[in-house]
Amino acid sequence: MPEAAALELDHVEVRYGSVSAVRDLTLHVGRGEIVGLIGPNGAGKSTTLNAIMGLLPARHGEIRLHGQALRRRSAESIARAGIALVPEGRRIFGDFTVEENLRLGLAARRRPYIGDPLAPAFELFPVLREFRRRQAGALSGGQQQQLAIGRALVSRPDILLLDEPSLGLAPLAVDAIFKAFTEISEVGTAILLVEQRAQRTVALADRTHVLVGGELRMNLGPADAENTEKIIAAYLAS
Amino acid sequence: MTVLASIDLQTLGDAFGQGAIYALMAVGIGLVFGVLRLVNFAYGQLIMAGAYTLAYTSGWPVVASIVACFAVVVALSLAMDRLVFRPLRSSSPAVMLVTTFAVSFLLQSVALIVDLRDGTLGQVASSVAPLNQAIKVGGVDVRKVTFVAVAVALVALAALALVLTRTTIGLHTRAAASDFRTARLLGVRANRVIAFAVVVSGLLAAAVAVLLTVQNPFVQPTFALEDTIIVLVGVVVGGIDRLWTATLGGFAIGFVSVLVNAALPTDKTVFLPSVVYALVIIVLLLRPAGLFAWGRRAAMERV
Amino acid sequence: MGTQGCDGAGLRLPLGALVELLGPALLVVVVGLVTTTASPSNKIYFLNALVSVAIVVAIYVFVGISGVLSFGQISFVAVGAFAAGVMAVPVVSKKGVLTSIFPLLRDHSVGNVTSLLLAAALGGVFAFVVGIPLMRLSGLAAGIATFAVLEITHNVLREWTKIGPGATTLALVPETTGALQATVGALVAIAVAFLYQRSRRGRLLRASREDPAVARSVGVNIHLERLLAFTVSGALAGFAGGLYVHLLGSITTEQVYLELTFLTLAMLVIGGLTSLWGAVVGALAVSGLDSFLSQAESGIHLGFKLTLPQGTRLVFLSAIMALVLILRPSGLTGGREFRLPWSK
Repeated sequence: MPEAAALELDHVEVRYGSVSAVRDLTLHVGRGEIVGLIGPNGAGKSTTLNAIMGLLPARHGEIRLHGQALRRRSAESIARAGIALVPEGRRIFGDFTVEENLRLGLAARRRPYIGDPLAPAFELFPVLREFRRRQAGALSGGQQQQLAIGRALVSRPDILLLDEPSLGLAPLAVDAIFKAFTEISEVGTAILLVEQRAQRTVALADRTHVLVGGELRMNLGPADAENTEKIIAAYLAS
Repeated sequence: MTVLASIDLQTLGDAFGQGAIYALMAVGIGLVFGVLRLVNFAYGQLIMAGAYTLAYTSGWPVVASIVACFAVVVALSLAMDRLVFRPLRSSSPAVMLVTTFAVSFLLQSVALIVDLRDGTLGQVASSVAPLNQAIKVGGVDVRKVTFVAVAVALVALAALALVLTRTTIGLHTRAAASDFRTARLLGVRANRVIAFAVVVSGLLAAAVAVLLTVQNPFVQPTFALEDTIIVLVGVVVGGIDRLWTATLGGFAIGFVSVLVNAALPTDKTVFLPSVVYALVIIVLLLRPAGLFAWGRRAAMERV
Repeated sequence: MGTQGCDGAGLRLPLGALVELLGPALLVVVVGLVTTTASPSNKIYFLNALVSVAIVVAIYVFVGISGVLSFGQISFVAVGAFAAGVMAVPVVSKKGVLTSIFPLLRDHSVGNVTSLLLAAALGGVFAFVVGIPLMRLSGLAAGIATFAVLEITHNVLREWTKIGPGATTLALVPETTGALQATVGALVAIAVAFLYQRSRRGRLLRASREDPAVARSVGVNIHLERLLAFTVSGALAGFAGGLYVHLLGSITTEQVYLELTFLTLAMLVIGGLTSLWGAVVGALAVSGLDSFLSQAESGIHLGFKLTLPQGTRLVFLSAIMALVLILRPSGLTGGREFRLPWSK
């Protein structure tokens, strides 16, 4: 009997008023896996992440963490259950120092740590250690994204949700964070990655789902990364 | 200039004293606003409750009386959060304003009923009165309470600054005041942060109650009402968005009021409110986000 | 929605819209009729309710339509009340009681209607002058700035004895606000508010409240539209102040200050901030409640005898108001206009 995946979505529906933003969505992310979620703007990708995080209510279906249903819990309690979200636009606290931003991430930790609690962030992104006392607002876009990811990681989450992390970043910065994703999944953290950069995501992830108009259209594997026609067809499928 | 000549050491002392007390009130108001985005019109009633407690415990030893005052005010502050702030959390600013306004009137009326039971309006808080005596500094009379007020304000503000910058709860509170949604996403416990702000706000109100009853031992239901209004104005003028600009605004309006009062010719002092409020309008027109607000914040307007 | 209208002001008056006016108007007329049948001791409550309608509608015209919170509208009520009051007192009495006012004010006296028109004019002019700088502000800044206007008005009226009685009570004002004047006055306020909110400018302002960015991008001058609403509001408030002083026969600065500001704002919010129907319902409901509680303080019969302890009226009133606001923040009417039950 296979153990329950770290994160499961089971026929989930999310509504904005009377409009269904996400319909009948089923997917799972296993321990140490990277699952991609791509699709055109407005397809419901961010909505999916927000629903997992408890920021939006799921009308139907179930969201399960290690087999336990997550319905109707507040964002803060879901964070403390082991799911971390790196939100769209990063949302770091620009007036605080890098270190203070990271320490904020500790709010969701589940057990006390030995040694430097901020180690996961510093080891993955050494630049954060170098700039630890600097104002976060003074960092470059790429560095701020690293800070946002690092902040999510210091609570040692089981599941990492990322909402368009490469948005607005220079190619080198994108390389850096995509490399980081691999390292993160290697220690067992499950990653659900929402992205606009379809090809890179398909190449990186264990599997990638294409979401169009709130529905799952197609599943792609790393082998499809070079198959641009297939990817485009998935986006345009009606 | 004859105007400046009327500002002597005593006036300056009074101005600092008044400014200090108003600064404490401003912090209390600003903390709750920062975390709950709610302007608590009923803040003055917390001070009133503290003053009444001091009055009704006038026979007790001073320390016990003050402890009672703190206990009552903090309890009332927590009750206000539970019964009024919590249900209002998703309301529009207009509804929040009018509701806290209503609560303010409600508490005043309750106090009126309780006060009138002995047949006369008003109670006297006499235990802390000795602080109102004057001591000579540089040949001029300065009231003891001025020193105490300034000292208390400095200590309280320093302590609060330390807590906010060096402790976890302080960090979480600052984060919540800046972006509550993201803070909660990171696991910050909303209820703890709010309780912290509400309790500290209550502690400050209690301290102000003690300081105010020294200057004015006669307690009525309208105790501190006018002061609260003035501080609210000062907080918005200073910049309600950040705690330190709100505090500066509170201090400034207290300080300036005393100076303007001294500078006005005696027959015109009745127009003090008009002068102060005219200044308020001018400042708000020039800098709507607050006198001390700068940078990005000054460009954004928050309600 | 085009701007072609039924007349030059861009007024669109489909039948459904007229219902919006008739609802509040008929309610006021009914109250007016009941007033004529009320006992002399009860009459004052009804008349108070009708004058409250006028005041709250005046506040609604600005606060409800523009969405900007103002604490200063009662200053226009104050100006109207004192202007109408001082000028309506007969010259003979004035010379003896208001000894230090300007000769121009002391040696002349006006009739009832003139005093009301004067009150409206002064309220409007004062609002216009104050509004020119202030309408640039929004949010808390606007709230505080308008509150400052209230404070200044109160201070000046109280201390400047050349324009009025100062801190003393202005008395001997002819009590011309009976059932007819109160009803007609409230109806006038409702009609003006209705015409304004239905006019092109009123609709533009309301639209810009929903989405200021979009409004600006299509060329709406929000500052100007707010100024217009503010001025109309000020004129109506002044007019209501005139009604008020002629109801009481006297006036003091404290009667048009903080408590009235709170009460009328609460009436508007409880009724429903964003509609004319809300303003009228709120004013009547809260006035009714207030009257009931006042009566209860002296004992009333509800099958059993209910007597509230002295001073509890304000407790219950504010408690009930706080409760309504917590449980139903959009107000009794939900912020919607009056509609016939069978219409969509």
